[in-house]
Amino acid sequence: MATEVLTPLPVAAPKTRRVHNRYLRGLLTPRGVTGLTLVGVILLAGLAAPLLTSHDPNFQSAAALAGPGSDGHVWGTDDLGRDLLSRILYGIRTDLLVVLAAVPIGLAIGCSLALLAITHRVADVAVQRLFDLLQSFPGLILGLTITAIMGPGKVTIITVIALVEIPAFGRLLRGAILLHREREYAVAARVGGAGPLRLLTRHVLPNAADPVVVQIAVSMSIAVILEGAMSFIGIGVRPPDPSLGGILASSRPYLEDHFTYALGPLVVITALVVGLNLIAEALNRGARR
Amino acid sequence: MTKYLLRRLPSAFGVLLLASFVIFLILRAVPGDPAEQLAGNDPSQEAVDAIRRNLGLDRPLLAQYGTWLADLVRGDLGTSYMIGGSVSDLLGQRLGNTLELTAGSLVFSLTLGLALGIAGVTVKNRFGQTLLSAINSVSLIVPPYVSGFLLVFVFAIAWPVLPAGGHVSVFDDPQIGFQYLLMPALVLALPSAAVLARYVKDGLQQALGEDYARTAKSLGVAPRRILWRHALPNALPPVLTVLGMQIGVLIGGAVIIEAVFAWPGLGLLAEQAVTERDYPVIQAVLLFLVAVFVVVQLLTDLAYALIDPRVRLG
Repeated sequence: MATEVLTPLPVAAPKTRRVHNRYLRGLLTPRGVTGLTLVGVILLAGLAAPLLTSHDPNFQSAAALAGPGSDGHVWGTDDLGRDLLSRILYGIRTDLLVVLAAVPIGLAIGCSLALLAITHRVADVAVQRLFDLLQSFPGLILGLTITAIMGPGKVTIITVIALVEIPAFGRLLRGAILLHREREYAVAARVGGAGPLRLLTRHVLPNAADPVVVQIAVSMSIAVILEGAMSFIGIGVRPPDPSLGGILASSRPYLEDHFTYALGPLVVITALVVGLNLIAEALNRGARR
Repeated sequence: MTKYLLRRLPSAFGVLLLASFVIFLILRAVPGDPAEQLAGNDPSQEAVDAIRRNLGLDRPLLAQYGTWLADLVRGDLGTSYMIGGSVSDLLGQRLGNTLELTAGSLVFSLTLGLALGIAGVTVKNRFGQTLLSAINSVSLIVPPYVSGFLLVFVFAIAWPVLPAGGHVSVFDDPQIGFQYLLMPALVLALPSAAVLARYVKDGLQQALGEDYARTAKSLGVAPRRILWRHALPNALPPVLTVLGMQIGVLIGGAVIIEAVFAWPGLGLLAEQAVTERDYPVIQAVLLFLVAVFVVVQLLTDLAYALIDPRVRLG
């Protein structure tokens, strides 16, 4: 009598590999992918600007305010006859430069101050008052003040954005650390003999970092908005350097007959802001699950 | 109530004094000498010195601050270096316009915020909820200058029913004035309205889950009455605080909305003063903005004290 050999049933290979990183898991949702695509496309367009257009963004041709498609200008020209597509693409570069310089500075200083604040009561009070002071001015008013001191320019915008972001990052991290430090797992680790430094770096910080990671995306969108606003009212990037807010400002008198002039920066700013907010929301959901 | 006010006033005053000193100092520490700018191209040293003496810029800082503060208390904000004329006059003309815009947008933001927040609890079907949250997100994240451009394009150019920009005071001509006010005030109000709506909704949801709401329901009180008479008053205090903060945001945002809609307010004045380094004007505008924040903060605290006796007696 033949004995049937019990072979283990072939295990169906899982169709999708489970993603373990919680941030990545959040980003790989429809929401996250949409956000990444929006931001990614604009980022690439900015980086590949020299490949996408052969026009110098500052070259003034004779054809001012030409419509899209005329005379080899894909998106037309502005009131000074400069190629609009080039100005938008190079404007994206200016934006990226400002955002990518300012947000990390705000992140670094804000988080350092938060870490300083949790060490000692006196330091905590001092840091909190500093955050109060910075947050008592709305961004644009702070922008006006700093510009009055430093004069307009990229360094000024970067400073303003960093100053706006410092308390945002600092408050979030300080609050999260204070919260997680009292959680049971942290108490358990302390009882288990973990020193203050190990407790902070190995146990508390990995958990307290979640809101800060989400805030990076939010901060970038605020930075895009603020850069656009400052350049729009003429206290940001100096002309003739192209910037999204600057193009928008110079398009204002021609809105009635040349809406395509304003449309470019409007679409890019909106797409960036919406994309970054989608990414923030996706990260937030991924971290909470 | 008077006692509470007397207790709060000194600290508000202290903040103002400190702010005035900081604003004064910061702007004096700026590189770039207004006297040299005023003297024009390639000036002689004597000419620059004369201008400096004239403006009092050669005196010690503290003495300059003392003079400035003493004049300020008397209502004299100095003379504009570049734009010309007395700063008080400049500020006076523009201030009313900015306040008109801010007040208009405050009304919008409060109405929309309450409506969206209440709708958030009362609308039960899925489609309605999705629509509401979409409206909320869009108003919250699209920057006002972008929505301003879009509104101008739709309602002033494609379908010309409203003016694309400019200003007519609602006090001079209510009907025309309102047409000019409508778009800038609405655009400025949208982000604040979304923030308020969230607080109203959260507050209502919490209040509706409380025991008194359940008791009222079990006693047969109509749901509408529970919402308006029982839940809403209890949901409002945190909304009031947020509203106070949003007034600051609105005034800050007015700076750019004024630029989009060519609204001749403080924002346009501040821009001009900053680009031309007109110290007396910058100082006055910044000090005024800080004063508004302090006053709004004080009013918020007072309103809180009115609603909640624990605050004023505690």
